[in-house]
Amino acid sequence: MIRYALTRGALLIAGLLVSSVIIFLTLRVFPGDVAQLIAGTQADRQTVEALRESLGLDKPLLAQYTDWIGGVMRGDLGTSQLSGASVGAELVEKSRVTVPLGLMALTIALLIAVPFGVLSALLRGRGGGTALSIAAQTLAAVPVIWAGMMLVVVFAHWLGWLPAQGFPRSGWATPGRAFESLLLPALTIGIVEGAMLMRFVRSATLQAAGQDFVRTAAAKGLTRRQALIRHGIPAVGLSIVTVLGVQVAGIVVGSVVIEQLFTLPGIGRMLVADVGTRDLVKVQSELLVLTGFVLIIGFIVDLVHHAVDPRQRAEEG
Amino acid sequence: MSASPARRSIGFAALGLLAVGAVALSACTPAPEQEPTASAAPDPDATLTVGLVLEPTNLDIRHTSGAALEQILVDNIYEGLVTRTEDNGIEERLATQYEISDDGLTYEFTLNEGVTFHDGTALTSADVVASYEAVKADASIQGNADFADVASITAPDAQTVTIALTKPDQNFLFTLTGPAGLVFKNGDTTDLKTAENGTGPFVLDRWAKGSSITFDRYDEYWGDAATIGEVVFQYIPDFTAGVNAALDGTLDVLTAVDPNLVSQLEDTGDFTITTGRTTDKATLAFNGSKAPLDDVRVREALRLAVDHEALVEAIGAGQTLYGPIPELDPGYEDLSDVAPYDPTKAKELLKEAGHEKLDLTLTIPSFYGTTAAQVLVSDYAKVGVSLEVKRVEFPAWLEDVYTNHDYDLSFVLHVEPRDFANFANPDYYFGYDNPEVQDLYEKSQTEIDPDKSAELLKKAARIVSEDHAADWLYNGATLTAHTAAVSGFPTDSINSRIDLAGVTKSAE
Repeated sequence: MIRYALTRGALLIAGLLVSSVIIFLTLRVFPGDVAQLIAGTQADRQTVEALRESLGLDKPLLAQYTDWIGGVMRGDLGTSQLSGASVGAELVEKSRVTVPLGLMALTIALLIAVPFGVLSALLRGRGGGTALSIAAQTLAAVPVIWAGMMLVVVFAHWLGWLPAQGFPRSGWATPGRAFESLLLPALTIGIVEGAMLMRFVRSATLQAAGQDFVRTAAAKGLTRRQALIRHGIPAVGLSIVTVLGVQVAGIVVGSVVIEQLFTLPGIGRMLVADVGTRDLVKVQSELLVLTGFVLIIGFIVDLVHHAVDPRQRAEEG
Repeated sequence: MSASPARRSIGFAALGLLAVGAVALSACTPAPEQEPTASAAPDPDATLTVGLVLEPTNLDIRHTSGAALEQILVDNIYEGLVTRTEDNGIEERLATQYEISDDGLTYEFTLNEGVTFHDGTALTSADVVASYEAVKADASIQGNADFADVASITAPDAQTVTIALTKPDQNFLFTLTGPAGLVFKNGDTTDLKTAENGTGPFVLDRWAKGSSITFDRYDEYWGDAATIGEVVFQYIPDFTAGVNAALDGTLDVLTAVDPNLVSQLEDTGDFTITTGRTTDKATLAFNGSKAPLDDVRVREALRLAVDHEALVEAIGAGQTLYGPIPELDPGYEDLSDVAPYDPTKAKELLKEAGHEKLDLTLTIPSFYGTTAAQVLVSDYAKVGVSLEVKRVEFPAWLEDVYTNHDYDLSFVLHVEPRDFANFANPDYYFGYDNPEVQDLYEKSQTEIDPDKSAELLKKAARIVSEDHAADWLYNGATLTAHTAAVSGFPTDSINSRIDLAGVTKSAE
């Protein structure tokens, strides 16, 4: 187990390093720089050059990369070239919107996926099961931004129950309002992700139904449905954990779009704004943190899997 | 977003089902009760919430350009010796008075008494000297180039500042109304990017990046105290979202209302809409240093082909402008005779220049609406010019167009007042090089009599327009909506200055 964890950990670190290089290089293809943006359209070349130098933008790429990654390794995510604020501190501040949004979206996704997925498996071959399958297929295919706009039309415009955009200025000091303003965005991501997850739960449940231990249980006198619910579903749980890891990445990506649509001051919107202003040191660190987050979730999922699933351990054995 | 009708209707049905669930959830959080109307008297401690579009990138007004920063900081947080009125006049601020010597070379300012920085330190002439010395010495400070003719900045006593120029500069006082003229505490260690230490009637309370900036009244202000307790600038980058926020009562004031959305606000009867003048020049730049735009006939044709009246109509606000100087700046003249709408003549000119068919590219920053570009595409198609619209992010525009001059046509709203100098600078991205204009501009700047100076500018502006150095699609107007509770909110030029000291909000 320890050997597995170490190997898997080394892979994680290598993954992070490779990502950092890719992130750094791909951002360099953008035309324009932050010095020119700060100086504005009335500035002469001298002013722009002076600014560029003071921001370190005139240094060779390798030096810029090592400066950045060296700082990250020491736990310093850098400071924004534009605002002079600490990137780490701003990430923490913005995560107060994005993390609850993600958790709410995940909860909604699970609330949709697990009961409806199992139900649709149980009802396989009947009208209800087919209807659920079609609904899942359809919803999973809906672009997040379109789903968001539909929800805004229904709940904010027609019914006027929920705010269409924004986050209270007082933040979580007014928890009711903060929760309200995250509800529509979380529903948007949750429905789309939930529909995707639901298809997975359905097929995993059906697979479990065909397993020996379920059949054995059925042979002992339980109905097929009882056997599936008592013994099959717990086994499905493990595979759901794996898919959830992937799902988290989907939620992170979804939040970039959704925060834009709902003008939520979260990590996604910060990222878009920073790319727009070419605050590249900041964008680099933000992307690295997000990538790291997804990679670490994958790492944890693998470790859990390894620890729980006897078959994997046996293979290693 | 290309869902088929069938898929869409299934989606609707499913969303309907989910609606039921959300109803149950939303029922848990009661809506806040509306306070009954008490009186209409101004509440000195009221909070005014103002919706704005463009958020500043940082608060360092000394090093960072941009209207978003000037708009909220100048006069509210920071002050200069002089300031601008709404119609671009100049008036005293930190100075009680100023005198300009007859030769136009010496400016003497007398400072107000009792001015303090927000940290409590008293302002003296030494602070002014240090602030202006820095502008002169440091190329990275905004306005450094405008201080090129400053010979010396001295303080004969604690209340007097004397500035000597090497040659008269008609624009110098106006320069002092901008960021270059703001006064900072000598030797201050405040990090200006995130904090402030000005002398204005408001202090910075909090900046929630990506969302809002809050100012509180500064109670020890040297002049008349602000008539409002707190101001929140709420940044809403999307025009429709801004109107929604005004409609749901989040905002007291919405600036930069999209003209096409005005009716939504008007229909409620809760909002008053004001139309303000600006110095925004919607400039269609021609890359005059590159064929075929180096041919004046092509440039003239491109101006004659545009139906400016119809364009203003389509934009929904503003007025036509046929030269580089807008109405609020000295030297303005109606130049509509230079390029009246005449597609037939435009066609002839293009034919004469050997370009019966012409392909051009229009580079436009992506945050501008699509209306102007659409009108241009259709107007130009009528005279045989096919226009490819290239929408780019602003930094890309800065690099391609502004720095590398790599473009055919470009559209940008030049918002700065008195920026005629750009047409007297052959290195500017317009690439317009006319020694006569440069000479006239130079003379207008060194001319001591303001009226004569304006005459010279007028002459230069006419030449620029007759050379068809660029086209000026319109002079922008800015629409502001406010509720009945708000009064005294400025109307004109608010995209460069929102002086909030005299704004009141009544307790509803």
